[in-house]
Formats: sequence, structure tokens, C-alpha cells
Amino acid sequence: MFSKILIANRGEIALRVMRACREMGIRSVAVYSQVDRDSLHVRFADEAICIGAAPSSNSYLNIPAIISAAEITDVEAIHPGYGFLAENSHFAEICESCNITFIGPTPENIKLMGDKMAARTVMQKAGLPIVPGSTAIIKNKEEAIKTARKIGYPVIIKAAAGGGGKGMRICHNDIRLAASLKTAQAEAEANFGNPNVYIEKYLEKPRHIEIQILADKHGHTVYLGERDCTIQRRHQKLLEESPSPAIDNKLRRRLGELAVRGAKLVNYISAGTIEFLLDRHNNFYFMEMNTRIQVEHPVTELVTGIDLIKAQILVAANKKLDFQQDNIQIKGSAVECRINAEDFENNFMPSPGKIETLIMPGGPGVRLDTHIYPGYEVSPYYDSLLAKVITHGRNRQEAIRIMQRALSEFHIAPIKTTVPFHLRLLENPLFLKGDISTHFVQEMLKEEQKGEE
Amino acid sequence: MNLKEIREMINLMNENSLVELEIEKDGMRIRLKKTGQGTETFNGPVVIEREKIPQQTIQESKEFSDRAQAKTVEIKAPMVGTFYRAPSPEAPPYVEVGQIIETGQVICIIEAMKLMNEIKSEIKGKILEILVDNAEPVEFGQSIFLVEPL
Repeated sequence: MFSKILIANRGEIALRVMRACREMGIRSVAVYSQVDRDSLHVRFADEAICIGAAPSSNSYLNIPAIISAAEITDVEAIHPGYGFLAENSHFAEICESCNITFIGPTPENIKLMGDKMAARTVMQKAGLPIVPGSTAIIKNKEEAIKTARKIGYPVIIKAAAGGGGKGMRICHNDIRLAASLKTAQAEAEANFGNPNVYIEKYLEKPRHIEIQILADKHGHTVYLGERDCTIQRRHQKLLEESPSPAIDNKLRRRLGELAVRGAKLVNYISAGTIEFLLDRHNNFYFMEMNTRIQVEHPVTELVTGIDLIKAQILVAANKKLDFQQDNIQIKGSAVECRINAEDFENNFMPSPGKIETLIMPGGPGVRLDTHIYPGYEVSPYYDSLLAKVITHGRNRQEAIRIMQRALSEFHIAPIKTTVPFHLRLLENPLFLKGDISTHFVQEMLKEEQKGEE
Repeated sequence: MNLKEIREMINLMNENSLVELEIEKDGMRIRLKKTGQGTETFNGPVVIEREKIPQQTIQESKEFSDRAQAKTVEIKAPMVGTFYRAPSPEAPPYVEVGQIIETGQVICIIEAMKLMNEIKSEIKGKILEILVDNAEPVEFGQSIFLVEPL
């Protein structure tokens, strides 16, 4: 087992990994930028190294600085968290060449799944249905229109090297498609350094269902149920739950087995998530695979009782996963709300600043993953996630009831947060019925605006 | 300053892709700063701070800071790595205490990922103290030399 691990991240996920390390008797090293000097992850770590100035490119994305910090603290492994360098195959390769274990999949896994088109091709080979789409990069308007007509409108233009909901364009007709192609390519270039785009059929009102998988280095791969992440705004997830109200045991087994088959075909190692879109007729389609631990992993941990971060560390240390697929059960229901430093009544405008008042929720069934504390300064340099509140109940209704209770206890001031938005969401009758699609938030906000006028 | 002048300042900033602009006029100082520059989600509003500064105080504070600056300056590590005083184990150290250094002169090595990075001084001065031992690790921003500026 490792004796020391460096966590190449910040905020709540850095804390999460450090907690697992602490429980496993592993020393943790934090890296931080100058503005994160007073951060909780720096305080909790056994050692902390300042690696650069505030901007991510100088610090959390600065590979030489991170590797250098790893060398001077003599760590055996690096956990990349999520975001930042978690899906950077180049970073994973450098770790390997410096004899530092990268806690995650192999560089090849990352590279393959990072190429969204190649991922579709390989998953199709594994027998997963894929969203109908172009089989090659779209080079010009004529190709775009030809492909779109074949698939059938509406279509969505996506970046081949993309992901995370960035740089996508929905088009309902030839004119819109022709007009959007160039801008989509420019955005892809700006966001991912690669202008290549492809086209997929755009499924109307789908649900976003993802399967958590875990694989060790000894060929053992399992699935840990699904998460329903349909509640999104601008392709960013806001609320996640497990199990999904739209999935029955039969569908769960089918999705899980296909996910495992796909992961095995590419010799996937560590934790990963296979994302599907589910349409109104229960047809499902592979969308993409995320080769990292995800923000919403606690939801799966609560319903399965399995600690995913510890599992990642064990896998990286060459240990065998000690549970069989038959032992993995989904018990009860879990819901997670992502609380961001945003002003929901003002178009979710970012609301950085100092937290003066902080009262955190607690009690049975409540888990809080957060790095905030009274007096903490939320800086504008990084993402706006303040805290994840996760609740677990015997069924969905109870998990939601506990979440409503917990969020009503959660006081953060004077900065604005999305707690009031989630409270609104949790009372919405369509949400309570479980009758939602990825447009839900958009429609809910529109209704609210209409109501006010 | 009136709203029109402030608007002109904002336009000036946008036209020249400036992030911060400070103008002093008639004893009044206005600083305009665009918050949030990273590729992350924050694209904050422009912040306007106004301070009325009597001329006398400006003169005094400048003199005071000049005197304070004359005492010592800390040279900080611009990267994280291992600090070396010489280019190799057998070679003599780049600088010693009491030595006068020039702007641009190499004062030490910080090794990161097997690369030896020559660190150059940004000021001219006299080395008063070397704050880190040879082959010790240094963090970004850690003070490595105490220098009296000349």
C-alpha cells in the first residue's frame, strides 16, 4: 500500500481524497495556489506545497510544478480528483515515466475515451447502441447537411475532443446547421485545442443515466448501479440521484452488463462512468465515458455502501477488488444537490466573496462534502461549487424529504448560493413524480419567470 | 470625474483589452478593475473604487515606502523544486553572502523534473542572507535570498 499520496486538486474533492487517505493510514500531500493558502484541503493535509500563482494554468494545471512537488515530497502516487488534470493522458504518462502511480485509468484508456468519436466506435463494437451520428469528422457544410438529413433533425454538433457539456450546438434545420458549423468548430478549438466536430441525432427530452463501473488490475470489473443526472442547466449537472425513477431492475442489469462489457473491451482500470441517454420509449444510447471519479460519486457510495475513493487507491496499489457483482446491492435512495456560489435569481450570476455566516446541515441521512468554513473567501479563479449535500433514505420520497429538511437548515451568507433554487426544485410536482428530461430546469425557470410577470 | 469620463475609461479598457486601469486627477483616484479572468465560470462585473486622496499624504507615503524599500528585499522562488547554490556539486556557488549582484545575474538553480532552471535576479543589490540550504526543497513564492537593493 502507498505510504504517501499527493492530491493534484483543491476544494471538496481534495478533502474527500485526503479523508480516504487518513482512514487508510496513508500520508497526504496537498498542493495549492497562492490564493488557496487558507484552504481547508491545505490545513487537513499532512504536508502542503505552494505550487504557483492563482490562475489554474500556473497552479492546478501546471504539470511541471505538480510533478516537482511530488518529487520533493517523495510521494508514491498522485490522485488527480476530477477536472484539472484528471483526464489529461499526457499527465498520466508523465507520472508513469517518473515512477509515480497515477490513481486512475491508464493513459491509453484516457486517450481513447477522450476521443469522443473513437469512443463511440469502440463501444458500438462492444454491443452498446450509440446515438445515431456521423461516422467521421464533419469537414464542411455539405457533409453536415447530408449527415443531418440521413440521421434526421434535430441534430447536435459536438466537439470530437470535447466533453463536459462544452461547445455543443443544437440545430433544427439546414440553415441553422450551416450557420452553426463554423462557430462550433471555433469553440471546439478554443476549449479543447482541436476544431474537429461530429454530428449526433439530438434526442428530445431525454434522461441522462450513467453507470458507475469499477475495475481492478486483475481483470475484475463490476457495475455499481446507475445515477440519474437529468437535472441540468446549460449541460452542467445540478442534482443527481440513485436509483433512477425511470429504471427498473431489468433495465439496470442490461445497462450495467453492457457498461462492463464496454469497459472490459478497452481493458479499463479504476473507476469510470458510462453515460447513456434514455428516450421516452426506454431506448438507450451510449453517449460518452468519463475516465475519472465524478463529482456525484457520493450518491453511489450511499446506496451501495462502497467507498469509491478507497477502491481507486486499492486498485492503483494492485489490490484485488473484494466484492462480486452479486454482492452489490442498491439499498434505499440517495439524492445529491450541488450548491454553487451563484445568484439563482439573477441568471445564476457567480457570487464570489467572503463567507461570514455559515450554518451547516446535519442529522440522520445527511452527508455534507464541502471545503467551506466561516471566514472562507470564495475566490473567482475556480469553479463555483461550494458544497455537495447528499441525503439517503429508505426510498426516493424519504431521501427528498430529508434533503428539503437539510437544505432548509443550510445558511450561507452574505454570498448568494443556489440553495433557494434547489428548494424550489424539490417542491416541483413534475420532479417529485420523477417525470423529467434534460430540459426540465430550463422549463421550470421559464415557468417561474412567467409566474412573476 | 463624471459618468461620461468613466464610460470613456471603460471603453478605453475594452478597446485595449486592459484588465485594470487607474487614473488620478485633481486629487481624486479612480481604479477600474475587471474581476475574474480564468477559463472557469466567473466573468464578473467591473468594480469601481473611489478614493479621495489629499496631495500631502501621497507625497508622504511615497517617501516612506522609498525608505522602507531601501532596507531589504526578499527574492522569492518562482517555481517549486529543489534549490541548488551551484550549477554542479563540484562547482563554486553562484553567489555568496556580501556579494553584489546585478539585474539578470544567475543566483541559483531550482531543479524541477530533472531540469536545472537558472534563476536570475530581478534587482541589483547586495546579498544579505541566503535563506535556504543547498539541496533543500522550495515552494512557489518561498523567500530564498534577502537582498539590500542598490
